[in-house]
Amino acid sequence: MSFSIIKTVKKLSNFKVTFIKTGIFVSLAAYWGVILVGTFITFG
Amino acid sequence: MDVFLPIAQVFVNPIEILLLSAIVGVLSGLFGVGGGFLMTPFLIFLGVPPAYAVANEANNILATSVSGSTTHYLKNTLDYKMGLMIVIGGTVGTALGIYTFTYFKGIGKIDTVISLAYMYILAIIGTLMLVESLSEIDRAKRNLIVKKKLHVHYWIHGLPLRMRFPKSKLYESIFTPIIIGLFVGFIAAIMGIGGAFILVPAMIYIIKMPTKLVPGTSLFVTIFVSVIVTFLHSFNFGSIDLMLVVMLVIGSIIGVQIGQKLGEKIDSSGLKALLAILLLLVGIAIAYETFFAEQTEKEIIQVLTSDLNFFSLFILEFSEDMPFFYGLFSIMFAIFLGVGAALIRKFFSSLRKKYALKAK
Repeated sequence: MSFSIIKTVKKLSNFKVTFIKTGIFVSLAAYWGVILVGTFITFG
Repeated sequence: MDVFLPIAQVFVNPIEILLLSAIVGVLSGLFGVGGGFLMTPFLIFLGVPPAYAVANEANNILATSVSGSTTHYLKNTLDYKMGLMIVIGGTVGTALGIYTFTYFKGIGKIDTVISLAYMYILAIIGTLMLVESLSEIDRAKRNLIVKKKLHVHYWIHGLPLRMRFPKSKLYESIFTPIIIGLFVGFIAAIMGIGGAFILVPAMIYIIKMPTKLVPGTSLFVTIFVSVIVTFLHSFNFGSIDLMLVVMLVIGSIIGVQIGQKLGEKIDSSGLKALLAILLLLVGIAIAYETFFAEQTEKEIIQVLTSDLNFFSLFILEFSEDMPFFYGLFSIMFAIFLGVGAALIRKFFSSLRKKYALKAK
């Protein structure tokens, strides 16, 4: 296998990890957003 | 086949309650966490009013913590002195919690307060657990070893009135365990949980107790806190329903035993992320119920006293005529079931060892 293919595979796997991490972070942020906004609306 | 709960005044499906408490028990045994913060929301989802769900789950926690604590007592992995210091703070915290509970019940906001408290606690624990388990998985993949400091000193370690705790080999201010107990007692009274998810990390990272003494001591503290919570809820609000408690205790004691056995066989650290997601899902379900679900008028169930069976009638009359003794009875009942479960477990464990030796 040529060096460039290995490099591309590595890059793709790094991209996957970053994608999952970003997904988790965005989900958590959305989750906290919903409960905080919900609390403010309920008590507002 | 629904069963009518004479005190909570709702119909529940006993199979659903038994199954759910067994599942929560398995999770408790597997991950070493108390099941209160999962079981109380489940009871609320099943239609039990929050004020009743909190009180009855506290009584269930009493039985499971007695069962666990007896096992640790038999293994001699308990620090009574440290436990009693936490209990002192826990007693004051519980009294404050019941006072707060009474205040919100008085203004008719207790159900909202309980739902909000659960939503935030589940969100906080779920987020922390998810982040921790993902970083653990990440570290394991990269083969990274994180060096931790041997001693980290917080302001809490500079407090006066230091005392020796020979079993834990510690020289600590008595205020450290008392403050932790105060916090745990307060949230236990409002939310009907044992508070192990606060107590265990606090014992390890703040008090710095030896890890092998932590689970037993935590369960020992939970016994006292849940006794006070159960009694005060029963005496002040008459909200303990023995019918519900029996179902909860049977399910959770069986579940905990299965969970502990599973925990010995499989590595649960990889499953931590799944538990975190489950907590977050329960949190969002509570958020939906609290903020977005249409407020429907609950159907008023009218069940005549003459329609009740002997057991339900006995519970109803006992709680109304003698609230003090009813509270004591529910505590003794949970303790009896807890000790019984621990002794049965020990009996079967020694029986298995005997057979294993004979087979050799």
